[in-house]
Amino acid sequence: MSNETIKPATLDELRDAIVGNECVLPIGHSTKPALVSSAGVTRVSLGALQGITQYDPSEFTLTALAGTTMSNLVEALAERCQYLPFDPMLVDAGATLGGTIASGLAGPGRFRFGGVRDFVLGVEFESGDGMTIRAGGKVVKNAAGFDIPKLLVGSLGRLGAITSVTMKVFPRPAATQTLVVDCESHLQALRRIAAAARSRWELDAIDYAPAEQQLWLRLAGPAQSNTEIAGDIRSSWGDDVDIHDATWSGWSRLRELQCDSIDQPHRIIKLPTTPTQFLATHCELGDDADIRSHLSVAGNVMWIWTRSETATVRVATYLAATQQSGLVIRGNSANSCIGSGIDHPMHHRIKHAMDPHGKFPSHSSAG
Amino acid sequence: MDASIRTLASLFPAERFLCNAASQVAFESDGLTAFRTQPLAIVVVESADEVIATVRWCHEHRVPFVARGSGTSLSGGSLPVANGIVIALNRLNRILRLDPDERIAIVEPGVINSRVSHAAAEFGLYYSPDPSSQSICTIGGNVAFNSGGAHCLKYGMTSNHVIGLKAVLANGEVVTMGGTSVEGIGADYTGLFCGSEGLFGIALEVTVRLLPQPEMYHTVLVGYASLQAAGDAVSAIIESGLLPGALEIMDALAIEAAEAAVACNYPQGAAAVLIVELEGPRERIQCERLRLHEILDRTSPLAQRIAANSTERQSIWKGRKSAFSAVGRLSPDFLVQDGVVPRNRLGEVLVQIEALARQSGIRVANVFHAGDGNLHPLILFDGKIPGALERAEELAAKILRLCISIGGSITGEHGIGMEKREFLSEMFDEPTVALMHRLRLAMDPHMISNPGKMFPGTEAPSLSTMGLHPLEAAGVISRE
Repeated sequence: MSNETIKPATLDELRDAIVGNECVLPIGHSTKPALVSSAGVTRVSLGALQGITQYDPSEFTLTALAGTTMSNLVEALAERCQYLPFDPMLVDAGATLGGTIASGLAGPGRFRFGGVRDFVLGVEFESGDGMTIRAGGKVVKNAAGFDIPKLLVGSLGRLGAITSVTMKVFPRPAATQTLVVDCESHLQALRRIAAAARSRWELDAIDYAPAEQQLWLRLAGPAQSNTEIAGDIRSSWGDDVDIHDATWSGWSRLRELQCDSIDQPHRIIKLPTTPTQFLATHCELGDDADIRSHLSVAGNVMWIWTRSETATVRVATYLAATQQSGLVIRGNSANSCIGSGIDHPMHHRIKHAMDPHGKFPSHSSAG
Repeated sequence: MDASIRTLASLFPAERFLCNAASQVAFESDGLTAFRTQPLAIVVVESADEVIATVRWCHEHRVPFVARGSGTSLSGGSLPVANGIVIALNRLNRILRLDPDERIAIVEPGVINSRVSHAAAEFGLYYSPDPSSQSICTIGGNVAFNSGGAHCLKYGMTSNHVIGLKAVLANGEVVTMGGTSVEGIGADYTGLFCGSEGLFGIALEVTVRLLPQPEMYHTVLVGYASLQAAGDAVSAIIESGLLPGALEIMDALAIEAAEAAVACNYPQGAAAVLIVELEGPRERIQCERLRLHEILDRTSPLAQRIAANSTERQSIWKGRKSAFSAVGRLSPDFLVQDGVVPRNRLGEVLVQIEALARQSGIRVANVFHAGDGNLHPLILFDGKIPGALERAEELAAKILRLCISIGGSITGEHGIGMEKREFLSEMFDEPTVALMHRLRLAMDPHMISNPGKMFPGTEAPSLSTMGLHPLEAAGVISRE
């Protein structure tokens, strides 16, 4: 086995690559390097299998080959005033559709309408025994058969090589407006997140930058109603509210996982969390200048940047001690998981059913 | 009672282990009354430990089991298995946790769907999936069959709102999936379990996400001279960039039935009515309603009625929600399908359904979730006439095949269950069905958990006469 990368130009070549190699890992454009760094596997790039194969805006569905870049997809949708509401990540970096499904990463927009799992309708993939599987459907509503497309969200290429994906898409709101709210403390910020998330305002995104103690709120809808609702928020929360238009760069920098104070991170980690867990995690790690975090999706996801190996070890140790698991997105890591691990009792059963010959690597263990 | 079943009976007090003829009859059917099978026994569980003990007993003795909530499945999903055990979950009905700050609820499987929203209401929150039977169906059944409702286009189905599960697999192993965060890492086992039709095991605890209640609704009832005009109006709304919470259409026969049943006062002479509902903060609704009415005014409506308050909104919805049970007034029996077609082809499909119905000499009423192309043709027949049920089933099969042939689905929200299992392999190719079967075996090697559902080729109980479900006749539940 080697670390070579094969780049099939056709589905037949992809099938040959899977059948002809002992252990393969499907990859896209490697925008999340820590997820494709398994040693001793043959990487198979889906990058050449690209293109939108079906898009009828009035059906709210789009089908594209897995190697299609998210930037192409986002652009095609924007031309018809549509979008993927979950804020696809690393679009400018070159992320592909297949990689977006396999990593399951969603940005701040996940808050309002759901994440990758909530917008994937159908998936075609090559199984380890060289079969083409067509799971799910191409219509916006479907309850037939097991929901294998959802299973593949976050599966990191360990259950099959995704070749084509059908997504649900939505009409793009006419305008967005962002409110940056200064908070006195993390506790006040969390109270405001809770209040905002169940408020009448129907916010599009609710994030929190702990270093600056700033809450980011995004409104999406007709410009006039955004302005009126923003006025109501300001009158509720006082003068510490700055209002920005769609050009505000905070959201796009976050979508590209850029951190102002750590420009060369040792690791970037996704940590599913809750507001309470966040507070505990931040109390433990927040004083370290080599660790930076951002709380997204109204307190449900923490993005963590570490500057050094020491800082990474500190994060890993804390997560393991508190039975939390994070996904390493970037950094030259041998393990995609950090903390207590993602070994699940159902994993081996499902892995064996999906990939009986073990053509795809298992998850790297906790580290 | 044979010796082995006594060991199961010994786990329960006598009043919660039912194996007499009266109980067996009471549990012989669910919302799809076409199928009836009497179970060997029914256990009425009161704790998760009792569910686990029963499943482990079944696993050890290779005895099939079927989990059952309120028995409202429209696809025969909770039909008992002969010589099997029914595990009745209604008493597992506690809301274990409701956290308004994290906007989640953790509930037991026997909790009634609408109870979650009632409990969350004081915090300004609600649970979005709203199958028509929500006043009686349980969350456990919703999870098993990935139930839908009238708001799926915007908000998704049950699986889009379930973020964590604790379940006992068919082999007795207890597992947890997901958690209390809406995001996870690793493959989405929670997503796979939802909609698995009870073939993997039984959910013991379900973590759902709660949404903020919309501040305001803007509900409009529009009458049209033809179904085509109503369908065109839906296309115009969708293409405008609006995203209504609900878009529902009823045809003339469904209107007639609803009118007779609940006097909903829908526009007279309309061949179709469209219900459109916008929802959100008042500032946004003020903008969007202007847009909506600009569009509707261009669709040549016969009549428009805007709900001025919550009572009028309920009145508009009453006709829609009662449509199915109301059809019982037009016909002693009916079948309902829930196939999905690409929304743009709704008009064409309705014309074809009409032609098929005419050829068969069968009346079909249509009610559908127009926003997501989810049909609900109601095929009317009289089960007392020899061969009528078979002819109705033949028509239903043709409609399902029509859905498949144009790239749709055989079920949008009812699940495959008993009813549509012969169509699974028409919708999915052989390798995909084989993989689904491998997944099932991975969770249930002895195929004892809700056997006979979803997959074709297993023995079917005999069809019997139809007729309204007793609860449906009483107006307690309705089919959607």
